[in-house]
Amino acid sequence: MKEPLIQNETFVKIAAPMVVGVFFLLFWQIAVVAFEMPKYILPGPIEIMKSLVTDWSTLLNALMMTLKITLLAFVIAVVLGVAASLLFIQSKWIELSLFPYAVLLQVTPVVAIAPLIIIWVDDTTWALTVCAVIIAIFPIISNTTLGLRSVDPNLLSMFRMYRTSRWQELVRLRIPGALPYFFGGLRISCGLALIGAVVAEFVAGTGGSKAGLAYLILQSGYNLQIPRMFAALVLITLTGIALFALMVWLSDRALRNWHESALEVEH
Amino acid sequence: MTSSSVTPLKPSTPDPTAEPTVQAGSTNGRPVLQVEGVNKIYANGTVALKGADLTVRQGEFVSLLGPSGCGKSTLLRIMAGLGDVTSGSIKFWEQEYNVVGDKGRKMAFVFQNATLMPWARVRKNVRLPLDLEHQSGPETEQKIDKALEMVGLSGFDNSFPRELSGGMQMRASIARAMVTEPNLLLMDEPFGALDEMTRNKLNDDVLKLWQKNGWTIVFVTHSVYEAVYLSSRVVVMAARPGRIVDDIKIDQPFPRNADFRVSTEFAGYCRQVSQALERASAMGAPQEKKA
Ligand SMILES: Nc1ncnc2c1ncn2[C@@H]1O[C@H](COP(=O)(O)OP(=O)(O)O)[C@@H](O)[C@H]1O
Ligand SMILES: [Mg+2]
Repeated sequence: MKEPLIQNETFVKIAAPMVVGVFFLLFWQIAVVAFEMPKYILPGPIEIMKSLVTDWSTLLNALMMTLKITLLAFVIAVVLGVAASLLFIQSKWIELSLFPYAVLLQVTPVVAIAPLIIIWVDDTTWALTVCAVIIAIFPIISNTTLGLRSVDPNLLSMFRMYRTSRWQELVRLRIPGALPYFFGGLRISCGLALIGAVVAEFVAGTGGSKAGLAYLILQSGYNLQIPRMFAALVLITLTGIALFALMVWLSDRALRNWHESALEVEH
Repeated sequence: MTSSSVTPLKPSTPDPTAEPTVQAGSTNGRPVLQVEGVNKIYANGTVALKGADLTVRQGEFVSLLGPSGCGKSTLLRIMAGLGDVTSGSIKFWEQEYNVVGDKGRKMAFVFQNATLMPWARVRKNVRLPLDLEHQSGPETEQKIDKALEMVGLSGFDNSFPRELSGGMQMRASIARAMVTEPNLLLMDEPFGALDEMTRNKLNDDVLKLWQKNGWTIVFVTHSVYEAVYLSSRVVVMAARPGRIVDDIKIDQPFPRNADFRVSTEFAGYCRQVSQALERASAMGAPQEKKA
């Protein structure tokens, strides 16, 4: 006999937040109508949907721009971050001397250094990318370094007993062991790359053909096109969720055979 | 038994693998390990070993028994060439460690935990020592099959460690140690984390393999019964500072089985070893910090 849907874990997991979401939107729409809220202050969900449709080509252009910077920054952050971690684990001295600077990058608010970077880097796309990299790289560095260091000391002893080269130790032991940490870093970092791309564009305020979602929000604000502002916001949120889901999927695929984080809970 | 990658030895160097197999439990075999006046002081000042002298001969099954913290693991690791000694000497097949060279491979270490790579399937885990030595080919695959078969894990090649029970993980760990065809096996409380049934079963298996293959085993345990049941010799250690205080020969024939566990001889040896252990514990006690 088939179990009733309400007892199906996956169904409940998806349906429950959906129900909450639908009620929220419904309440929002009713409130907006009931209090005759002008749409330049708070548009209802229907207005926002309308804007998503009518302004779609503008929104899509901006989305593509933001997405491009986000992905570019994310890839660069991953490559540089992993390279830095590999450098750090070569010696305690290197790590001790350089890690504080990685922390420095992390604690400096990107809003505060973005204007400088925009002055230094001519090309806007690259300037924004650099800002986003600065935000996104730290979780990669710290997680991967931790992972590469967290080796089972007994396994390490075994490798030493067979007089293994450092290269073998890295490839056979440290890198596979660091994967769960690395993927943890990816999940945090992808969201930060998006935030970096958006925040940097707010600071840069560049318009024209290269405008991203942040600029669209600024501009819509000036023009009191509040529904479009919300539409852009919705797109940023959806992008963030999609990126995160993609990372979760990747990490599950890579780790599902052996790591606890990817284990299905059995019933 | 000699693998192709072993460096040819100088004629003057005795080749352990050429040695005739010694009767299991014999006490007049060639010295495999000679620990002489070894002191070990850790960086934090802990005197883990003080003046340790111990000779392990070919074909012996030696247990190191003592309260926790008495330096059993330290001694075993030193025997494996893992970690330096503060002073004293340690010889492997009557030579200093640095001239033993590639023959180090003939020794295998089994840790308290299975210490498997969780990301690798059982077969990949078992073949690790061979991979590290860059061995491959059909002969290598045969060695792996043989090792898996010996521990009763044939057919589990493609399982991941987490899919196995604790006992089976330990078997995989033993298979990994055996795949190099060692003649010296160092085991650090290998079955301490297992339930008694599994533990007894694995003890019997190890005993059988030891007898059949003419291994030499040094086995760390804190169980008197396990030590007496398995060993041809029980070395009792005391703590603070870690040292060897007693060396008891278990003069009973092999193979041993469940009958031996209930024999009066077994009980007698257990009493003798327990008393030695109590004396050893009392020696360490006065220096113990009071809470
Ligand atoms: N790496 C280490 N650094 C400092 N002290 C250690 C280290 N390893 C072990 N010790 C200390 O050395 C003593 C002997 O340890 P160990 O050989 O592990 O004992 P056992 O295996 O008999 O329990 C203990 O007091 C322990 O705390
Ligand atoms: Mg120990």
